[in-house]
Amino acid sequence: MGFNIVVLMKPVPDPKEPPKFKPDGTLDRVSMKLVMNPYDKPAVEAAVQLKETYGGNIVGISMAPPHAVDAIREALAMGVDEFVLLTDRRLAGSDTLATSYAIAMAIKKLWNKLGKIDMIMCGIESSDSNTAHIGPETAEWLGLPSVSYIDKILEVTNEYVKVKRIIEGGYMTLKVKLPAVLTIAGTTYTPRIPTLRDVIKARSKPITTWSLDDVNGDPSKVGLQGSPTKLLRMWQAEMKRKGKIITDPDPDKAVDKLLEELKKDGISLFVR
Amino acid sequence: MPIDFAITKEQEELKAVAREFVEKHVMPRWKDIVEKDVIPPEIVREMARLGLFGVSIPDKYGGLGLDFLTIGLIMEELARDPSGAIPSLFLLQSVNAYIIAKHGSEELKQELLPKAAKGDLWVGVGETEPGAGSDVKAIASTARKEGNEYVLNGEKLFITGVREAKEKGVWFKEGGGHVTVVYTDKTKGHRGISLIFVPLTDPRITIRLEKPIGVRGVSWGGFTMNDVRVPEYYRVGAEGEGFIILMTDFDKARAIIALQIAAATKYALEVALDYAKQRRAFGFPIAFFQGIQFQLADHWMDLEAAHSLALKALWAIKLEEEGKMGRFEVTKLAAAAKGFALRVAKAALDDATRWMGAYGYTTENPVAYAWASIKSFDWAEGSLDIMRVIVAREVIGREWLKKVMPFL
Repeated sequence: MGFNIVVLMKPVPDPKEPPKFKPDGTLDRVSMKLVMNPYDKPAVEAAVQLKETYGGNIVGISMAPPHAVDAIREALAMGVDEFVLLTDRRLAGSDTLATSYAIAMAIKKLWNKLGKIDMIMCGIESSDSNTAHIGPETAEWLGLPSVSYIDKILEVTNEYVKVKRIIEGGYMTLKVKLPAVLTIAGTTYTPRIPTLRDVIKARSKPITTWSLDDVNGDPSKVGLQGSPTKLLRMWQAEMKRKGKIITDPDPDKAVDKLLEELKKDGISLFVR
Repeated sequence: MPIDFAITKEQEELKAVAREFVEKHVMPRWKDIVEKDVIPPEIVREMARLGLFGVSIPDKYGGLGLDFLTIGLIMEELARDPSGAIPSLFLLQSVNAYIIAKHGSEELKQELLPKAAKGDLWVGVGETEPGAGSDVKAIASTARKEGNEYVLNGEKLFITGVREAKEKGVWFKEGGGHVTVVYTDKTKGHRGISLIFVPLTDPRITIRLEKPIGVRGVSWGGFTMNDVRVPEYYRVGAEGEGFIILMTDFDKARAIIALQIAAATKYALEVALDYAKQRRAFGFPIAFFQGIQFQLADHWMDLEAAHSLALKALWAIKLEEEGKMGRFEVTKLAAAAKGFALRVAKAALDDATRWMGAYGYTTENPVAYAWASIKSFDWAEGSLDIMRVIVAREVIGREWLKKVMPFL
């Protein structure tokens, strides 16, 4: 069969390092070490498994500052064949709408180059913003169907995929016409550790850099100015235990006391 | 020449592979490995898939052809394995496959190396005997040439990996063998010693297992050769070259081991320090007390120095491969690196286990276990005292010593 799969990968600040912020409250991505968004790894794994079964080509796209190449090499080592890095100063500060617009423009250019794209895959969310917007928003810009929170791809043909999707309390099975955007959860696809040879080979896989102009992007639609939402504040919550012990020899009374405490804290529980 | 302690991005990425492997596959299961004294075959197979068994084998035979500095850096990550079993398998394969690649006949290389690179075959070394350890010349094993075969007789003891090599198909698809040190000509002294690859899968070879106090998980024991026949081309290097080849390859093993010891001990120290930060006594977490802090500082300084000396020895090996460093300089640095790392590691682990008190006395505690395992390097791959002999000899000077000890 042979599929052309595009994988969206977000280079994110290393979760193991403390975050750095710019004066305007946004993340100072340029000064932080970037790694592959861990949520994108199952998506790459799913794409690689499809390629191993059906053949084809996997192209990755990242919108990030130039030093994201280290994170991109992680994805190349996992099995992505080549990468496009969309990088431009004017993209800084973009919210998800602006970002998905820019990515969609890059995909359109890639579509012209490749002739066809069968699937666009990405993780369900990013580890630094967790909005889960990019997959579905990119689909909207491109006029494509999208399915998010996919546990497993059950069946693949040239025309459609059948997928098992996670919903609250269960699953749903969907048949989706291709091309489509699929966001992959980490429940079934366990990302493989790249081999030493994969890591060495990744160094010679092509990474093409595109600017906003290269993809015919409208500057007014990106960056802070193109973002209808603005990040006001981001901070790390401190988790501390209250350490309060509720005592009462009667367990029912103790539970009542506990519920009172929770109510005072603004946590209401439905009690039948 | 400029001094740069930084490693390349590629070396970092290769280290990341080994680190992820240890985090995902080894850390959750090391206690089981130690308790059952067995590495689950799946772990060995994942090592094979990742290419860890082909790091020193040239590209032309399917290996990665990495230099020994990079191999050492990968070992640094594998050294996190509290059981010590994974670093042991990695080290022996890296050094002994290299010996075959460098000194073996083309026929032998074609037969063994592609399989070894894939991790289908494992290669250890068989030098030690019941009556010979540091005194290599005192070995009793022999190899007699008969037509185009060698007939081997002898008993090797305290050899790593005998079970993994013997039981074909369990850990390694083709099992494995050992580069074995034997006399091909007893009349020539050490110039009568040769290296011959012995496949332990040979039904005529019997193995026995010993029970080490540390480094459990990988087998340790002996093998007996009773008129074992191998083809002539299984000899590694020319007849009579065995002693020299063995010495130069111990250098590589020792430099890597030095880095392994320094890294493993640093991790153990971190575990003990975590404990000291939480354990309270006399009103404070014990890490607050200067008694502990001064010990920590001294050991940290020593381990940092051991780490740097190990890297220097690996750098010297890299230069030797490029023809820019003399053999004896490498031997001296490698022995120094191993000797120093071992001394400071033992002292550090002695204190680190004591910080943990009784908690430091169970086999489930990685620090206690490291204390038992690092001790094995007192004799493994060259005893601590032999390291001293080598350094003294190289520093005093062989010429001066020859005058005083004409039999040197």
